[in-house]
Amino acid sequence: MTAEELQVLGLTLRTAALSTLVILPPGLAVAWLLARRNWRGKSLVETLITLPMVMPPVATGLILLELLGRRGPIGGWLDRTLGLQIVFTWRAVVAAMMVMSFPLLVRAARVAFEEVNPRFEQIARTLAAGETRVFFTITLPLAARGITSGVLLAFARAIGEFGATILVAGNIPGRTRTLSLAIYDLVELGRDGEAFRLLGVAVVIAFAAVWTAEAFLRRTHESHRP
Amino acid sequence: MSLIVRELVLPLVPFTLEVSVELSARTTGLYGPSGAGKTTLLELIAGVRKPQSGTIELNGRVVCGEGIFVPPRLRRVGYVPQDDALFPHLSVRQNVFYGAAGDRAGAVVDVLEIAPLLDRGVKRLSGGERKRVALARALLSNPEMLLLDEPLAGVDVPLRDRVLEYLVRIRDQFSIPTIYVTHHMDEVRAICEELVVLERGRVEGKRPIEGVAKDADRPHSP
Amino acid sequence: MRRPLVLFALLLAFASPHAAAAAEVRVFAAASLTDALRDAAAVHERQTGDRVVFNFAASSTLARQIEAGAPADLFLSADEEKMDALAHAGLIVASTRVSVLSNTLVIVVPKDRGMNLPSPRALVNVKTLALAEPSRVPAGIYARRYLVAQGLWDRVAAKVIPVENVRAALAAVESGNADAAIVYRTDALISHDVRVACEIPRASGPRISYPFALLRDAEEPAAARRLLAFLRSKTARAIFARYGFLTL
Repeated sequence: MTAEELQVLGLTLRTAALSTLVILPPGLAVAWLLARRNWRGKSLVETLITLPMVMPPVATGLILLELLGRRGPIGGWLDRTLGLQIVFTWRAVVAAMMVMSFPLLVRAARVAFEEVNPRFEQIARTLAAGETRVFFTITLPLAARGITSGVLLAFARAIGEFGATILVAGNIPGRTRTLSLAIYDLVELGRDGEAFRLLGVAVVIAFAAVWTAEAFLRRTHESHRP
Repeated sequence: MSLIVRELVLPLVPFTLEVSVELSARTTGLYGPSGAGKTTLLELIAGVRKPQSGTIELNGRVVCGEGIFVPPRLRRVGYVPQDDALFPHLSVRQNVFYGAAGDRAGAVVDVLEIAPLLDRGVKRLSGGERKRVALARALLSNPEMLLLDEPLAGVDVPLRDRVLEYLVRIRDQFSIPTIYVTHHMDEVRAICEELVVLERGRVEGKRPIEGVAKDADRPHSP
Repeated sequence: MRRPLVLFALLLAFASPHAAAAAEVRVFAAASLTDALRDAAAVHERQTGDRVVFNFAASSTLARQIEAGAPADLFLSADEEKMDALAHAGLIVASTRVSVLSNTLVIVVPKDRGMNLPSPRALVNVKTLALAEPSRVPAGIYARRYLVAQGLWDRVAAKVIPVENVRAALAAVESGNADAAIVYRTDALISHDVRVACEIPRASGPRISYPFALLRDAEEPAAARRLLAFLRSKTARAIFARYGFLTL
């Protein structure tokens, strides 16, 4: 791979990894709440979370642009108080990846939590464990495989993100030109050979991530019974 | 020690559980046909389920009712469910010591003879071994009351006497007030001092063990 | 009661000079031509009864689409290179190729709180400069050529935010997400949220030219030629001039 290609790959992997790390705590929290609790606005929350998965990515990108732009509610505040700009920087890349991959993580983690037999949590409570201890010693380990699968899918989705990214982060070489954007660029320039090379890399990564995610799911079903 | 249950109500399907009973024996058998609500009653006492109304008093302390609900982790009730519920992702040792409190550990491990099992994985245990480990786990949390849900269910016949023997040892060594759910009369006679009969969610009778012999032959489907 | 009405309607239809000629002309046009072309096309539609359907995008994108076989009748490009590429591939009717319009480049900044840039040299002070992708979109290529010729490119390159097309560069400044952009003067004129900080002088600036041509695989060549002829007419030139284009 050329130096330029490596740079694109490096940027993509770094931003996707950061995005996945950042959505993990809130994603698990939301997934747990959806799995174990009921409340009045629950269906609304479920719908809002699923929205980025079904809306056209550019539409999501547009919403992000409005929110995170220099004059938007969030972007404006950050600009005024911290002098931080989000759009057209790597931060916007991460933001777009976060929004698009969050639903995948939440859905997988929710299923994983739902599959943990509540009996184990109950017994742990009779053994004097508080809710935090129950979560970290019983619920989370038993849901780990399903959660890992969700993390891998979220990571793969982040790497493949295009529509929202191009609107809100632009296509700046070295700073926001991710794998998908680079492929698009090469195609537009008529450099098909190079485009296919990068496409190959993207396919390999996506394949590996999804294959591993599925493998984790398969082993989950054998691993625990009360 | 005493357990006082007053007008505990929980609608189930197809009947409503309504229980008022006072227990003070060392080991009380909870006897009745399948589906009578025995497990539910244990769950209510342990605190893993909430009743619609009513009170539960453990050793003079209200743990449920009158606007109070003490969560299971503060009730000091050891619960061994019918399916053992050993944590599959932890070793035997981690299971047994999960809620360990007090200084009874050595005695419990000895009485139940589980020392050689401690470093094994939970999946490698036989049925009888699982029962002993589940029992040890509950005992090590230093409970004021023990709830055993059909402890001999699923144990092969030749092993039942052996496990029963362990249960008797526990009873004698630690004297923890115990509620013992079963639908086998011979177990009741072997270990319980008092018997409560539960049918369709209601207590049909409470009597000391000697007087049970005559009713024992009435069939209760398992 | 209904028959006379139907007969009457049919008569009208046949009597109308437009009836036989009604066609749909597909035009792939550079993004910077959007507003002026829409106006011009409206006039043409009223006069001829033809319908004009547009696809506005960066000329590089349009050229790619045509090469890939996208159905179109006319290509209105923002630079000669893109048209040359299609000519080289034998995709245009060379005899119809004509360059009618030109444009100038300007540097725009946000209307409120935009920086003061008295000359292009002041670009070294901006934090971000939005350009239509300088490696392939005409507006960006023109801008880059100018900056290189002025010896400014090296100092400005790191500030560049490449966007899809010249209108996206304009939008970036309108929303305040970029400090400045280099766009066509015609783009700046239609926007309410930007102010022209300075102009790229025509003398030292790049030679901008908009070649138009009929495509070889046009499905409505006759109607397309009619539109092309109209776009060269006095009426159309007046419309373009109103939007700030220079007519050749």
